[in-house]
Order: sequence, then C-alpha cells, then structure tokens
Amino acid sequence: MSSTKSGFGRALVAVYALFAVAATARSLVQLGFKAEEAPVAYTLSAIAGLVYIAATIGLAEVGPAPRRTAWAAVVFELVGVLSVGTLSVVDSELFPDATVWSGYGQGYGWLPLVLPFVGVWWLLRTRPAR
Amino acid sequence: MIGPLPTAVVIGGLVLAVVALVYAALNRIPDWGLLGVSGLVVAATVVVLVAATFQVVTGRDPDLVGEEVATALGYLLTAVLIVPIGFAWALGERSRGSMAAFALVCLTHAFLVVRAMQVWGLWG
Repeated sequence: MSSTKSGFGRALVAVYALFAVAATARSLVQLGFKAEEAPVAYTLSAIAGLVYIAATIGLAEVGPAPRRTAWAAVVFELVGVLSVGTLSVVDSELFPDATVWSGYGQGYGWLPLVLPFVGVWWLLRTRPAR
Repeated sequence: MIGPLPTAVVIGGLVLAVVALVYAALNRIPDWGLLGVSGLVVAATVVVLVAATFQVVTGRDPDLVGEEVATALGYLLTAVLIVPIGFAWALGERSRGSMAAFALVCLTHAFLVVRAMQVWGLWG
C-alpha cells in the first residue's frame, strides 16, 4: 500500500480535517474578538490550524506534491507540539490563554501530541517501494 | 431554545456513530438506510441552527453577545456541515477506515451540539 488516503488513512485524514477546522475556527474567533488578551497564544493557534490544513491536504493526496506537503506539516506539527507544550509547562505566563498545543494538547485529550507520531508512522508505512 | 430537539440531535449523532462503528466491524459500506438517518440528523441540526440564529437576530437572548454568539453558531454550523462531508468521504472507499472516519465525524457532531448548548447557557 502506498496511498496515504486508503484504509486507516481514511480515518487519519478525517481526524486531521477535524483538527484543522477546530484550530482554525478557534483562532479566528479568538483573534477576531480578543486578540489583545493573548496575541502569542492566538497566533500559535492560527499557525496550528494552517499546519493541520496542510497535513489534511497532503494526507488526502490533494495538490502536486502531497507526500512532501504531508511530511513537512507533520514534522512541523511534532516540533510545534513539543516546543509549545514544553514552553507552556515551563513558563505558563507566556501563554495566558490555551492554544491547541499548550500542555502538549491537554485540552484536546492529548490527541495533538499523539497525532504527529501517528502521522509519521503512517507516512513511513505507506512509503512507496523503490 | 426549542425544547427537546437539541437532545434528540445529540442522541441521533451518537446513534449514527454506533451504527457506523457496527458497519466498520462488519466491513459494510454506507447504504440508503444510513444516508436516510444521516439526512434526518442533519435536518434536525439545521432546525436547531435556524432557531439559534433567529434568537440572535431578534435579540431574544440579550445576554449572549460577540464571541459567545460566534462560538455557538460556529459549533452548530460546523455540526451541520461535517456529517454530509464525512458521509461523502466514507463513500469514497469501501473500507473499515472509511466507516471509522464517519463514526468519528458523528461523535464530533454530537460533541459540537453539546458544546453549542453549553456556550448558549442552556446546558450546564
């Protein structure tokens, strides 16, 4: 199997799509109504939303180089959740309001932490044979 | 807001999720029955959305403003949209993964309606 949108990939794309909608919509509401309260946190939520959108598009094999897009998005997501998660634990004043990635995705049942690992595993598993 | 309809919508979403999981276990593809029940759940969610929008437009709930309105209506609008999109995605391939994806979408639908009602202050 080399398609990232087949089998288990159908469910994985759905999870990424739901996170894309959740993070993007949340950041739009936050930036639209109270951007001055926690600009860093809300901007990070917006970035997370864009990353989830890119991962969804890549894993659903849309566009000219979907696998490359998916890899870039999933690796960015992994670095993002680990660095933002660590920063939010070490210095909570940096994030007066929660983002998708703060507390390692605690507010979303730690799914944001698990998801990039699953994404990497799936991309490796569906790697085309050379 | 509109009596027991939001409760019925949440139960409908949860029932759909369970049915989708059963379909996934049996490796069945979406059929007319599942489409019909999904259509009913979406139609009922549309009614809740229209009623909520009516409340806002007519100013019947003055305590609800700005961010809360956007959040509650956003939850309901997303709940309306994700079920047909999820169904179409599940139709794309005959596999357990497809039905698992649809089950996940139905669970999310129920969760979104619950969150909308909470933001609205109707459910604790």
